[in-house]
Amino acid sequence: MGRTVPTYREALDGLLTRWEREFGHSLADPRDREAFHEVVLAARRYIPQGTMMTSGDLVERVLLSLLVDLQRKLRAPDPGPFESEIDAFGNLR
Amino acid sequence: MPRGWLLDVTSSRAGDSVLLWLKEMQGMVHRVEVPYAPPFYVTGEPDRLHALGEALDGRRDVASVAETAIQSSPFEAPDVRHAALAVTPQSHGRRRSLATEIDALGACVTFRLFDVDLTASQLYYLEHDLYPCAPVSWSGQHVVALEPPETWDYVLPPFRTSELAVEVVGQRPGRPPRSTDPIARVRIGTASVEGVDETATLAAVVEELRAQAPDVLWTRGGDTFDVPHLYHRALVAGFTEEEFVLGREPMPFGLDRAGSTFVSYGRIYHRSPSFALAGRFHIDLDERFVEDVTMVGFLDVARFSRLGLQTVARQSPGTAFSAMEVATARAQGVHIPWKKNLPECPKSAALLIAADRGGFTLTPPVGLFEGVDEFDFVSLYPSIMVHHNLSLETLECPCCPDSPHVAPGLGYRSCTIRDGLVPRTLRPILERRLYFKRRKRETTGAERTRYEDLAKAWKWVLVTSFGYQGYRNAKFGRIECHEAINAYAREILADLATTAQREGWTVLHGIVDSVWLKPPADADPEAFARRISAQGHLPLGYEGRYRWIVFLPDKAYGLGVAQRYYGLYEDGEFKVRGIELRRGDTCGMVRGVQERVLKVLSQVRSAAEFQRAIPEALALGHAAAAELAQGGWSREELVLTHGLSHRLEEYRTFSPGVAALRQLKEHGITREPGEEVGFLLADRRSQDWRRRAVAAELMTGSESYDAAAYIELLARSFETLFSPFGYTLERVARTWGHDVQSTTPPRAFDRHSLERPGQRRLTVP
Repeated sequence: MGRTVPTYREALDGLLTRWEREFGHSLADPRDREAFHEVVLAARRYIPQGTMMTSGDLVERVLLSLLVDLQRKLRAPDPGPFESEIDAFGNLR
Repeated sequence: MPRGWLLDVTSSRAGDSVLLWLKEMQGMVHRVEVPYAPPFYVTGEPDRLHALGEALDGRRDVASVAETAIQSSPFEAPDVRHAALAVTPQSHGRRRSLATEIDALGACVTFRLFDVDLTASQLYYLEHDLYPCAPVSWSGQHVVALEPPETWDYVLPPFRTSELAVEVVGQRPGRPPRSTDPIARVRIGTASVEGVDETATLAAVVEELRAQAPDVLWTRGGDTFDVPHLYHRALVAGFTEEEFVLGREPMPFGLDRAGSTFVSYGRIYHRSPSFALAGRFHIDLDERFVEDVTMVGFLDVARFSRLGLQTVARQSPGTAFSAMEVATARAQGVHIPWKKNLPECPKSAALLIAADRGGFTLTPPVGLFEGVDEFDFVSLYPSIMVHHNLSLETLECPCCPDSPHVAPGLGYRSCTIRDGLVPRTLRPILERRLYFKRRKRETTGAERTRYEDLAKAWKWVLVTSFGYQGYRNAKFGRIECHEAINAYAREILADLATTAQREGWTVLHGIVDSVWLKPPADADPEAFARRISAQGHLPLGYEGRYRWIVFLPDKAYGLGVAQRYYGLYEDGEFKVRGIELRRGDTCGMVRGVQERVLKVLSQVRSAAEFQRAIPEALALGHAAAAELAQGGWSREELVLTHGLSHRLEEYRTFSPGVAALRQLKEHGITREPGEEVGFLLADRRSQDWRRRAVAAELMTGSESYDAAAYIELLARSFETLFSPFGYTLERVARTWGHDVQSTTPPRAFDRHSLERPGQRRLTVP
């Protein structure tokens, strides 16, 4: 378990740090920065699924995570069973 | 024939015999000396062995050398024997040094050595079908166990126990004892032993121990202070090792085992030097490797592993499991290799990427969920090892090319003909734990506690049985087994999630062997667990339904994390993971307030009630913050604990823990990596090591503390619990009328923050 090969989480950390340093850092428009942050979150959200893939291509796993996240957002914003009964403002759903 | 218990087997001082400590039913303890000098074995080319035999013959440290043949590998058929030399050292103590010499003679290649690191007592137990604390009958030197170690229910030996604690002259809060401090008095059980001077006190200690004759001597910190200090002061007072005896037999005043620092799963541990006694068990409660295991559990593990009680209580459960594997191998006639010679198989990069992965986890959604069911596989990893016959010698065997047991995604096959050494060791343990768990459910009171303790002890052994497959020094470990177990486990959990979804459950969370599911209407969770167990041949247990459960986010990204949640089962019991009160570095004040908050939440039955309970919980924090601000909180409750990853001089950043270490150094106390340092935060912004913190050992109870820092820590614990509902650190503190000025994250107390490279080097004044 990550003895020899870095875990997907570790490899992703490295990749996202590089993306932030070389790309995200130079985004001047706050809306771009926000969008970049969402990309980072989307990649992180699917770490468990990325771990299940055996592909040696790190970017393939990240792209798939981003696609699923994007597709999810494109669909109807139905909160579904995965939403907390109390929201982030302390209100009941 | 007298009947009673074989308490222990220890090596004699001369090292050519063992001492059997036999306790009669009536309570009298007998010391029976039996000549016993077990050989170790050397294999190699016959002519080289012959030459070695001639070279060893006649040496003063070698009692005998004989040519023989041994079964040296579990990989080979039982009738395959290899030419070997049986080398018997003159004393048990020469076993390892002689073996090292022979190994070097063969340049670590020519010879392979066996049974070297098995102790004389371990071998004695194995060769005589005995085990620690066995009920026995005996006649002279002939001792017979009256029941096998596997017996589930047995009568515990009637141990006589005493607690020992040393008090030095001038001992008071804020002044830790020094090695030069004379002994003032020693508490042994209910007796307070104190003579006219230190010499008289020490002599009286020996007398009192002889009079009380305890079988078990409990201490709190006896390995680090009480016993070595007694020995040191006895030496200063002119006592010899024969005169000053804490056990039932003289022991050298030196160490039985030196202290050590080691890393396990990324954590640094420190094990203190051990001061075991002969004929009497010295159990240091502070040195238990696993804290929640009790004497009953240690004793049961000792029976199975044939390691003495003092060893089992101090060593990791992995050591006990290795000893059980040794017992299985020896029962089969296989001798135990000293140095494992089983390198990792060559792998392609693709296979390495596929194989080198851990268990499956899902990211839980953050927030509160009502009516969630939790299911856990019972001892999943050991069960996989048994069910798929995963053992070093059964993997990729030449006899089963069409084995149905193939590790998913990796293709590793396991044997269908021979029962592996690891599964053979594990099967009785799994059955034992299941029995203890069942009896725990069926019983009440003391009996229930006993079964609970027994099940808990075996849980830790089973946990390490998997980890040891990937440990390079494990005698019977093989990394491919470790990889195969993980592969099966990932597949099992992913399959379970898919099946659950198909049947209408919502999969909220999953970690390695557990899942949290929201049931469809009219779901029967017990029936679901039974169905899954039957399909996969691995027992899935239904842990219960939560009235509500809160999955908490990580602090960096706000995404759910695997091991951070708290929830209330329908039976009113809480399950909490990853919050402050579960952490070892949390101070008593934060733990206490968080426990009170959970008590408030234990009355909550729904999301609506939870929402209404938050202000009440915050009010508890408000009252605590006000009391903290007044400076009257008990100092003991404010001690923070910091796990050390370095020695003092290696730390690069200045932290309260480092300040405390510096203060302890002033008093001649050093701490090793893996140990902890406790301190009170006095002024977190001070750059002076004398002012920033106060080491716990130096506290008098009247020093001032940094109230703002503690209020921030308290507010953080509220943020942990309620952040999914918009309660940030700032908002919590504002509710209490405080501004959080510091931007220091709680990781200021976290060992990892001290390890970041590139930070300025600390110069300790």
